[in-house]
Amino acid sequence: MYSEKMGRRRFLKRVSLALLGIFTAPIWKTSHALEKIEKTPALEYRTLGKTGLKVTAVSMGVMNCSDPAVLLRAFDLGINFYDTADCYMHGHNEEMVGKAFEGKRPKVFIQTKVHAHDEKKMRASVERSLRRLRTDYIDVLVWHGHSSPDEVSDPKLFEFMSKMKKEGKVRFTGFSAHSHMAPLLREAAKSNLHDVALVSYNFTHSKGLKEAVVLAAQSGIGIVAMKTQAGGYKKEKMGGLNPHQAALKYILRDQNVSAAVPGVTTIEQIEQCAAVMGASLSRNNLNELNQYQSFLQGRICTMCGGCLGECPYGVFRRDLLRAVMYHEGYENDSLARDSLQRITTQDVERCSECPSCSVICRRGIDMKAQIKMAQEFMVQGSERIVRS
Amino acid sequence: MILFILIGTFAGFEASSWAAPLESLLPKKDLPEGWTRVEGPRTFTQKTLFERINGQAELFLKYGFQKSVFAVYQGKKSRDDQMEADVYDMGNVLQAFGVFSRFRNEDRPGGFGLDSFLDDHSALFYQGKYFVMLYAPEPNQEILRQFSKLISSKISDPSPPPKEISYFPKNGLKPGSVQYFPEGLLGRQFLKRGFQGTYVEKVEVKGKVEMKEFHLFLAILKNPQQAMSALEVYKEDLSRKGRVLSGGLIQLEARALKGEDPYQGKIIVLQKGFYLLGVVGFEKEEEGGNRLAEFVREVKLPAAESGASRAR
Repeated sequence: MYSEKMGRRRFLKRVSLALLGIFTAPIWKTSHALEKIEKTPALEYRTLGKTGLKVTAVSMGVMNCSDPAVLLRAFDLGINFYDTADCYMHGHNEEMVGKAFEGKRPKVFIQTKVHAHDEKKMRASVERSLRRLRTDYIDVLVWHGHSSPDEVSDPKLFEFMSKMKKEGKVRFTGFSAHSHMAPLLREAAKSNLHDVALVSYNFTHSKGLKEAVVLAAQSGIGIVAMKTQAGGYKKEKMGGLNPHQAALKYILRDQNVSAAVPGVTTIEQIEQCAAVMGASLSRNNLNELNQYQSFLQGRICTMCGGCLGECPYGVFRRDLLRAVMYHEGYENDSLARDSLQRITTQDVERCSECPSCSVICRRGIDMKAQIKMAQEFMVQGSERIVRS
Repeated sequence: MILFILIGTFAGFEASSWAAPLESLLPKKDLPEGWTRVEGPRTFTQKTLFERINGQAELFLKYGFQKSVFAVYQGKKSRDDQMEADVYDMGNVLQAFGVFSRFRNEDRPGGFGLDSFLDDHSALFYQGKYFVMLYAPEPNQEILRQFSKLISSKISDPSPPPKEISYFPKNGLKPGSVQYFPEGLLGRQFLKRGFQGTYVEKVEVKGKVEMKEFHLFLAILKNPQQAMSALEVYKEDLSRKGRVLSGGLIQLEARALKGEDPYQGKIIVLQKGFYLLGVVGFEKEEEGGNRLAEFVREVKLPAAESGASRAR
C-alpha cells in the first residue's frame, strides 16, 4: 500500500486528506495571473485644506478593520487616505496599515494620532508609529481627542508638532474631537495652528456645527469627517432601510468636508462606501435619511437632558429609557437589565396606571410608548427566568 | 399573573446584582507597598466610553462592551511612577477573549487571567467576562504583574476559555495568534463572526528558506443552511474576483471550495455543520492541506448537529 520512501505517517496523512478531498494533484499554477478586480468607482478628489493633499472624498477609517484584505481592496478601489491611531488595538492597527501598504507608501496618505503628554513620551509615540507603519514620515499627525478650546490652542503642543514637522517625521498636523466640535473648530479657525481637524460630523448634527465647519474650512483647515453614519443600526432592525450610503452622500454634499473616513470592517462595506463618490444625493436618499433620523429620534433617548416636566411619582424615567435604548438599539439585554435595577414593582404599576406621561421629550420620543416597551422587555425577561 | 411575572423579573434583576460591582475589581486596599489610588474609580457606559478611549470605543462596542471602570495608582518613587487600570465588562468570556485577542501584540504571557500579555509598559488579560488593561508610563513590569494578579484574584467569574480556541491544531500555530472577530471574518461580511489562527510554514524563495504565514479560520454561522449559503456566496465572489478551482474535492464537492482569493491567496474552505472552516494564504499545498485536515478533525459539533450533518 505504501512505499518505504513515502513512509507510514506521510501515507496516512495522504489517505486522510484524500478522504477529505483536500489533497490532490497540483491544482495551482504559480504563474497564473488573477483577473483584474472588477468595479472601479468614479473617484472624487478634494483638497485637504492648506495641506494641498488631494485626497479621495471617501477615505477610510481603519480602526474597526478586521483584515488587511480590506485595506488592499480599498487601495485597489483608488482610496488614498487612511486614518489610524497609535493606540488602536495596542498598535496592531498601525502595524496592519504598515504591512498592507509596504511598497505602496508613495501612493497613500496616512493619518495617525498622538496623545498629549510631555515631549519625551509624545516623541516616543511618534517613533513607535513610524516603526509600525514601516515608513519614515507620517502625512498627518493629529492630537487625539481634544475636548476644550484651550487644548486646541495650547502652544506647548503646537511647539512639539512644529518640531516633528521640522525633523521631517510629520508633514502636517491637526487634532481630533468627538464632542464639543463647534467651539473647538471655531477656536482652531482663530488660532491658525492646525492643518487638519478630524471631527465627528453627520446628518444629525446641528446648524451650529455646520457653521463652525465652514469657518474652519475657510481658515484653511482640512476637515475630515468621522462617525458619518451616525451609528450602526442594522438593516433588519430598520425594516430593510439601509441609509448608510445616503448618510455618506449627505456629508460629502458639504464641500467644506475634504474627506469622510467611515469606519469599515469588510470588503463589502468599503465597496459600498466607495461607490458613493460621484453620486448625488437623491430625493430617495433624503427620504431614507429622514426615516433614519425619525428612527433614531423616535426610538432612542440620547440623554440630552432636555426632558420637559417631571414624573409626579419620581419614577426613574431615564433608567427606563436607557433600558429601551440598550434593548432596542444595541440589542444588549444584559445592559438593559442593569439599567432597570433601580426600578421597583410599584414604579411599573404607577406607570401602567398613568393615562399619559407627564414628561415630554422635546425631540419627539413618545414617552408612554417607551415605558410600554420597557415593561414588555421586563416581562420577556421574567418569562425566561420562569422557564429556566 | 402580570404582577407575579414582574416580581419574578425583579427577583432576577436582584439576583444579577448580587455579583460584585465592577468598581470593586479595582483594588483600593492591600495595594503593593508604596502605592495608593489617586484617581477613580470612574465608570464608563456605552454612551461615555469614548470620553475615556476616544474613537477606539467603537471597537469595544462591536465586541459587546457593557461598562468599564478606570483608576489611576501612584507609586512613591516619583510623580511619573503611575499606573492606569481599566477593567472592561465585555458581557461574556467570548467577547472578553475577542477584544483581548485584538490587543495582544505577540505571545508574552504574564501568568495571570485565562490568558495574558505583559511587557514593560502594559499588561493585558481576560478572565471570565472581563478584559483588563493596565498601563504604566514608566517601565515597571513587576508592578504591572502584581496589580494584574491582584485584580485577577478579585474576579469570581469561573467561565472557561472559549472552546473554539482548542480546535486550532498546535502544530505550526504561532503562539498567541488565535483571534476572535465578532463580524467580518477575513474582512468578508458573509463570513460573519469567527476565529482565525496564524501558522508558519517554511518556503524556499530564490534559493533561501523563508518563514511564511498562513491562516486557519473558523466561521460560525447560525445553522448548516446558512453555512452552505455563505460558502455559495464565497464561491460566487471568487469566480468574479479571483479564481475557483474545480477537481480534487470529489467527496465534498458540494460542501467545499478551493480557489484563489485576490487578497488572501490560496484558499480551501469546507462546511462542517454550522461552521465554515478553511485555510488561506498558504504556499505549499501539502502544508495547508495537512493543517486543514487536522483542523477538521479537531472541530467538534454538538451531538444533534453532528448527526444532522452526517445525514446530509
